[in-house]
Amino acid sequence: MHEYAITENILEIVQAEASRAGAGRVDEITVVMGELTTFVDSSIEFYFGELARGTAAENAVLKFQKLQARAVCGNCEAQFRPQSAFFTCPDCGSPLYELKQGQELFIESIEVSQPETSGPKGE
Amino acid sequence: MKIEVKKNILATNSAMAAENHQRLEDHDVRMINLMASPGAGKTSVIMQAIEHTRDRLRLAVIEGDIASEIDSLAIEAMDIPAIQINTDGGCHLTAVMIASALDHLDLDTLDLIIIENVGNLVCPAEFDLGETARLVIASVTEGHDKPHKYPMIFRQVDAIIVNKIDLLSYCDFDLNHFRRTVRDLNPDVPIMELSCRDGFGVGEWRRWLEASATAGPIDLKS
Repeated sequence: MHEYAITENILEIVQAEASRAGAGRVDEITVVMGELTTFVDSSIEFYFGELARGTAAENAVLKFQKLQARAVCGNCEAQFRPQSAFFTCPDCGSPLYELKQGQELFIESIEVSQPETSGPKGE
Repeated sequence: MKIEVKKNILATNSAMAAENHQRLEDHDVRMINLMASPGAGKTSVIMQAIEHTRDRLRLAVIEGDIASEIDSLAIEAMDIPAIQINTDGGCHLTAVMIASALDHLDLDTLDLIIIENVGNLVCPAEFDLGETARLVIASVTEGHDKPHKYPMIFRQVDAIIVNKIDLLSYCDFDLNHFRRTVRDLNPDVPIMELSCRDGFGVGEWRRWLEASATAGPIDLKS
């Protein structure tokens, strides 16, 4: 349920970006998520439906892109993709590894437009 | 029109956590983020910490709960400054909540702040508070499979307490299994066995606290 706070942050960032661009409507939001975070995309979608109501992002479609995890073994320096927190180095079996990628959570981009009824601002 | 955003969704929390961390460093104070599931004995473990280190360390406690002031009142009854945060439904503490709690503490008069996070093994692990050390409690009544089920938190912490160890013979808790699982996640983490009822292990808990309070800022494992 910590997705509630995350969704509030998403909406805050999206609204700021859209108003800076003078856009009246947000159509699409692309969120990048490392595959080892514990955030659940369907939960974010659920909260987004509630929180975005009445905002410029009300009808925006959320798109999630997963970022593969990448780690370097602390023992033999092999590079590999840990697929869970229990993963060990496929070369030497050591559980000691440094995660280089896989716990990110950021907004990659948004797609915005003007509603049909808006003035002569254009894009 | 497409707008490239490239903004970290947790940036607000991370920035505030870094500010909290700097503030602690400026005042030479350490802060422990204590996490566990509901009923693991967080408040009792903190009360043991107070009792056994209060003659050497100047302590304060930040209590995080969804509702009620029960925990902070218990700490205040021991004459230790306690700040209660009620998250009103929120499942974890955030760096902003800790920043406002720090406003209410006189940091120049403290060595160590213990944060009791909201009882939960999932969400608190994702939110940096600016702490100098992270600790998780597992109690023997919960079962030895907790690290299998919540690997992220066990991977991230600087120490683990196995609480209610006096009940070990009444529970099906396999201590060796627990230790092995933890080793696969976090090979060098200290595991302390503790009983708040009969005092088993309080010496080790006291020594860990004293080391945390006097050592330089401990690097958080990411």
